[in-house]
Amino acid sequence: MKPLRPSHPYLFVAPTVMVLGVFFIYPLLLAFYRSFFAWDLLTEPIYVGAAHYATLWSSGELIETLGRTLSYSLVVVAFASSLGLCFAVGLNREGTIYAFVRGAIFSAYIVSWVAVGLLWLWILDGDAGILAVALRKLGLPATAWLSDPDTALMALAGVTVWKITGYAMVIFLAGLQDVPRSLLEAAALDGAGPWARFRHVTWPLLRPTAAFVATTSLILSFQAFDIVRVMTQGGPVKATTIFVYAIYESVFMNLRVGRASALTVVFFVLLLGLTGLQLWAWRLGRRTGGETA
Amino acid sequence: MTRLSRRHLLAALATAGCGSRELSPGEMSLWFTYGGRNRKVLLELVDRFHGAQSKVKVQPTFQGDYFEGLVKLRTGLFVGSTPTVTHVIGEVVPYLAEAGVLSPLSELEAEVKADIDPVLGQAGSFVGGDERPLYALPFNRSTPVAYYNKNAFQEAGLKPPTIWAEMREVARALTRRNGNRTERWGFECPIAWWFWIAMLGQAGGRVIEADGRVSLGGDAGVEALQHWQTMIHRDRSMKPPPGRDFNAWEATNSDFLAGRVAMIWTSTAFLSYLTDNASFELGVAPLPQQVRFSVPTGGTFFVMPAGVKGAEREAGLAFLRFMMSPASANHWATNTGYMPVSLTGRQRLEAQGFFDANPDFKVTLDQLAYAQAWPWAPELFRVQREAVQPRLEQAVLQQKDGAAMLAEARASLREAGIATGDAG
Repeated sequence: MKPLRPSHPYLFVAPTVMVLGVFFIYPLLLAFYRSFFAWDLLTEPIYVGAAHYATLWSSGELIETLGRTLSYSLVVVAFASSLGLCFAVGLNREGTIYAFVRGAIFSAYIVSWVAVGLLWLWILDGDAGILAVALRKLGLPATAWLSDPDTALMALAGVTVWKITGYAMVIFLAGLQDVPRSLLEAAALDGAGPWARFRHVTWPLLRPTAAFVATTSLILSFQAFDIVRVMTQGGPVKATTIFVYAIYESVFMNLRVGRASALTVVFFVLLLGLTGLQLWAWRLGRRTGGETA
Repeated sequence: MTRLSRRHLLAALATAGCGSRELSPGEMSLWFTYGGRNRKVLLELVDRFHGAQSKVKVQPTFQGDYFEGLVKLRTGLFVGSTPTVTHVIGEVVPYLAEAGVLSPLSELEAEVKADIDPVLGQAGSFVGGDERPLYALPFNRSTPVAYYNKNAFQEAGLKPPTIWAEMREVARALTRRNGNRTERWGFECPIAWWFWIAMLGQAGGRVIEADGRVSLGGDAGVEALQHWQTMIHRDRSMKPPPGRDFNAWEATNSDFLAGRVAMIWTSTAFLSYLTDNASFELGVAPLPQQVRFSVPTGGTFFVMPAGVKGAEREAGLAFLRFMMSPASANHWATNTGYMPVSLTGRQRLEAQGFFDANPDFKVTLDQLAYAQAWPWAPELFRVQREAVQPRLEQAVLQQKDGAAMLAEARASLREAGIATGDAG
């Protein structure tokens, strides 16, 4: 198709380019520039070269923050994806009860993070929370999960899994719709049991969906902020200071715009890498699993 | 985009976000960071100001909590869109003053300064000598105080502790366990800088020495950490609340009001709130001593950003003059629990028999005799947020060696170019 005037295509994309430019590209370039300065928003910025990057590295802050973020993300992705798949396979059938259970599981996903955080603050209270009370009734140990540096991060990961498993389930359910019934019936006629049908028919066709679910939940977990802000504020100690919260704390609590900018740049590079991984997994899935999802 | 145009863009965004607009002659803006009851009392005072005169109209705007308000102020200062008057926590006043972003309130110095409680007003407390201009006026000022559940104490035949050793005994005696579940804790307070400073003072130390070197109290700082470590891990009589900053404070209040803890340390600012909401008889006591009684002060100061000029400045000064008057200071203090900052106002309250009728207020006022003003050094804010607070949690919750943690904190300060030294 040939445009009437050479400028037309540019005019069409101009609004998008402007929005992206003003709200994404310009702030990112600005953050990159600011990362070479020590600045508290009040006094004049002082040029410090790559000192912020060096400090982030030498103080261990970068590695520690990355380590916490990765362990949180791994738990979230592994559990949300596998539970979502189990629920999708188990609930992929007709009937009001199944529809209700599917709706109930998905409902957590549409509740705001702040509400979820507040709700789980009560549930996870070590003395009076219903989880602690229930565990003690069963004779199991209960602790103040959010006050203990050893358990706080995994408690947050657990809450995140609870919230986003419904999303994973819905995506897997959509993927399951694309598994041809005829293939499953043919496999059944050939004597394949439920596990063999899942292993050799359903799962290969679901692989692109699984790649999609895993990468989107990975990116979502990397961007976690609200739940940390509401439930632990990065503590106890620094146990739940994951990447986005570390950036927030640097700039808004500690008045270090330069260091926060350096963290932002590193975070951007990480997310870029993850997006590359997502595209690679997507293409791999399409090559090996057909055109679904 | 040039720097100037970026400033304009940010100014437009800040103006939109902060709800301020162009001021007409006689108008002034007030950014405040109080919620709940305190917000209501502040707005009552603004109404009183409007009722008392007709020349100045105040536009009050809520800006979130202390830290959110501070961020908005800094953004506003950067883009040149500041309020006429706002209030900031005491620890950042020297930082802002050093950065040259506060306007001296010289016009009020002669008439207001002499009537302000010297400790609450931080009189002459800038570290490094030279007398500075009056940059900040104390408004909501507080100290930490002990609140206790009188019913629980009476049942156990106990009195509020006056020394640390008693505090351990009392907390242990009041802790009630059922199997491995703690039904009631003896004591709770946020693992926060403010309370650590209180204990550091009680153990005989100070955080910044007179010559400006940061000592973090030396042995006294370590002793304060050990006191918490012992109560949490050995006695298991103290509950460290979940969360940080205001969330930990709220959790402490909630646990206390729900009867899950027998005694807490928190701010005098919660006196009215806790009195209104406790379903048991509330007791108020001064903090105990180790070698001496000592409490830090907390809360905020009114400041006027640099660059507020002309009629707007006059309006701001008129409002500050009104707020610092004995009547306003008393209205604020008696309706919230904050300290009455006006000395004349305090005498009036005494003459009216207010403290006899409200003995809990009297406890907080008497404790003021042991309050220590902050050493106002520009680094104070960084010492608190970056060097000390994370390490307090590490030492107390992860049972790390207190001396090593504080040595590490001092080393991090030296790396940031801040002079440290031994306690003297």
